[in-house]
Amino acid sequence: MQDYLFDEHFEKYPIAMAYVPWQHFDKMYDDLEKAFHYGTIFPELNKPFTGRRCV
Amino acid sequence: MGNKEQMLKDIGIVDFTLTELTLYLDTHPHDRSAMEYFNHYNRIKNQLMKEFAQRFYPLTLDYADSNKEWRWGMAPLPWEGACN
Repeated sequence: MQDYLFDEHFEKYPIAMAYVPWQHFDKMYDDLEKAFHYGTIFPELNKPFTGRRCV
Repeated sequence: MGNKEQMLKDIGIVDFTLTELTLYLDTHPHDRSAMEYFNHYNRIKNQLMKEFAQRFYPLTLDYADSNKEWRWGMAPLPWEGACN
């Protein structure tokens, strides 16, 4: 089973360097209580662990 | 408005929101809309803290204005079951 995503787009990056895409703020949860239970106010950071690949 | 437990919960939630916005703004110091959100929720937190201090007891020293008795000192301590 192929467990990595090869993408020629990444050719130009040197190996063994980690890259974290920059976060851009556009909107936040308006229900703060729900955000509190999610653990973040940013929808794009709401990544619940589901026991397998990231959702 | 709301009772003590509800207000404590609301203060905790708005404080969480401010922490999240602070973390974002620390790495995006020129993001205007995030700053507006921060100022908005910061005002709300200050109002809640002020109201809580008046109605119940001051949660932090900077809301501890008192005249008859030293309310900060009279406030229940966390380990005395003040916060559940």
